[in-house]
Amino acid sequence: MKFKSQRIAREYFLVALPLFFLQVIFGMLASVKYVWNVDPLLKILPFNIAREIHINLLVFWLLLALMGATYYMVADEIDAEIYSLRLARIQLWILTVSGVAAIVGYFFRWSFGMPFLEQPTLIKIVIVVAALMFLYNIGMTMFTSHHKLTRTTATLLGGMVMLSVMFLFGIPFMNNLSTQYYFWWFVIHLWVEGAWELIAASLVAWCLIKLTGVPRKTVEGWVFAEVCLVLLTGIIGTGHHYYWIGTPHYWLIWGAVFSAAEPIPIVMMLVDAVRDLLKARTLPIVNTLALAWLGASAFVHFVGAGVWGFGQTLPQINRWTHGTQITASHGHFAFWGAYGMLAIALMYAILPEVTGRAPNGKQGVGFSAFMSLNFGMIFIVMALLIAGIVQVYLQRIMGLDFLEVQNHMRLWFEVRLAAGGLFTVGTILLMWDLIRIALPRPATHLAGAPVPQSAD
Amino acid sequence: MHATRVILVVATLISAAIFLGMTFDTVRQMGPRTHADQLSASVVEGKWLWQKNDCNDCHTILGIGGYYAPDVTKSYAIRGDAWLRQFLKDPAQMYPNTRQMPNFHFGDSEITSLVAYLKWVSEIDTNGWPPAPQGMALQESGGHMVFLAQHCNTCHVIEGSGGTIGPDLTHVGSRRTEDWIVEQLNDPRSHKADSIMPSFTQLPGDQKQELAQYLAGLK
Repeated sequence: MKFKSQRIAREYFLVALPLFFLQVIFGMLASVKYVWNVDPLLKILPFNIAREIHINLLVFWLLLALMGATYYMVADEIDAEIYSLRLARIQLWILTVSGVAAIVGYFFRWSFGMPFLEQPTLIKIVIVVAALMFLYNIGMTMFTSHHKLTRTTATLLGGMVMLSVMFLFGIPFMNNLSTQYYFWWFVIHLWVEGAWELIAASLVAWCLIKLTGVPRKTVEGWVFAEVCLVLLTGIIGTGHHYYWIGTPHYWLIWGAVFSAAEPIPIVMMLVDAVRDLLKARTLPIVNTLALAWLGASAFVHFVGAGVWGFGQTLPQINRWTHGTQITASHGHFAFWGAYGMLAIALMYAILPEVTGRAPNGKQGVGFSAFMSLNFGMIFIVMALLIAGIVQVYLQRIMGLDFLEVQNHMRLWFEVRLAAGGLFTVGTILLMWDLIRIALPRPATHLAGAPVPQSAD
Repeated sequence: MHATRVILVVATLISAAIFLGMTFDTVRQMGPRTHADQLSASVVEGKWLWQKNDCNDCHTILGIGGYYAPDVTKSYAIRGDAWLRQFLKDPAQMYPNTRQMPNFHFGDSEITSLVAYLKWVSEIDTNGWPPAPQGMALQESGGHMVFLAQHCNTCHVIEGSGGTIGPDLTHVGSRRTEDWIVEQLNDPRSHKADSIMPSFTQLPGDQKQELAQYLAGLK
């Protein structure tokens, strides 16, 4: 850590971690409802509330982790203190309070009711204010410094601006459902297949430079090309969501062609990152876990977003799979690979720098967490995929009733629940490991002293 | 290298411009494609009720949302007015002992708005989604197809499979005639004043006849 203000990253991470844990708990609650015949929690926590909390927490903890990492990285790249540490801290509090208020509100049926964007309008406005504070703070850090803006930081800033602008399309209520969904995808698709990809690409680039000593020129060369390709394919690629929602027929062609090309930049990212890691590395690998998460993220990003997405992006297939558990399988795999694993990699990369603790080696709790989280997720995704195939066949092709088909899928919902248990164990181990690294190093280290647990 | 970069940036900007152009055209076409002229106050209120109660995190609509409950895009076309009203009033009554929708205690005017909304949604031009199932053609009897398509087995048992809320229909043909069944479909209360069965007046006449014929044949 070069600058004092960079320690703000740790505070963002310490709020993000328990939110990740809660996300997993609400995911478990939602998934047990698929196994139960009659839901004993129907009146207190029906499925819709469990699901909205599960997904809101996902977006919430990922954004906090990415913002924390951004503060750290920008100071590092620009070679200056963050413009205002105080503002960064106030922003964290505003986001935490508004996020928690939204989630508590859901229990009292205070909802805007568009999936993932259920936050009531008042809370959305507060989130926009916090986003503006964030942009102002990193913008001022970049532009008040005499240090030249690197290509990596510029990409990151671009991604953050795009993220904030796109969010605005999710705020208004529109009378026409089709129009509402048309612009809803401006947030959802252009976030995950646009803005977030830019943010992820630049953070991955920075991590590679930082952790492995790959020359900046090498990394920035391919990151730039791939970011352009992400936008080139991803913007019109939004069209693969415009097949069946009341939008004109030409989207079936435009959406298919452009979204079918979306995996290209993802494959390139994977190939380039692995090649750099093997051939252009100049530093010895010390922080094994950070790199393991980073490499695994590039791979699962490719499989979960690229392969799973491509598998149902063509209208001939999507016509049958749209709105089934196959989409849920893809959603879990892609988000975990592209963003969940990346956020964890960033925490492993940054936290030891902040607290001065030695980064983890290969073994230990962190390694067990890595294995149980990833295998847990692979089993979840496979179970959902099989459930989805059963659903497409029986419901869409054979025409059986929805609820009857759900009964035929029960076995796979049970497998998913069990896999979720493994994932939950992994989450607890991960929290244990990361919170341990996040604690300030004691002046005199007592061997064998119990590690105090702080939930922040 | 420099040239490649310029080409990439220009191509990306062009794609963004095309996307904006298509957005403009889509919004223009959305009116006729969704019958936007029929967006009455009641439909819009229905949409807000749908959102306010977060229906979309269990149900999909236009295929988007939660996968826990059925897609409602064509609910109005499949179930019709009366069925939907009855269901929204008390969901548990229609689907006992299985995955359930909470009772939202909607008032009558709220139910009217929700049904108006679902009717409007069912008329959106969705480029043919959801596709008609292909397996139905394999069913042996037309009446049996109607029985399944109208989800009669939600409440009625035939040969051990189905719901228990209504009477077992395994041997209904030995008790009732075809005409009696048609009357029952049109107005369940004509036979039993406190019947909770929704009426199926919206079913086309030939389907009603096929269904009645099939049921009357179950001796």
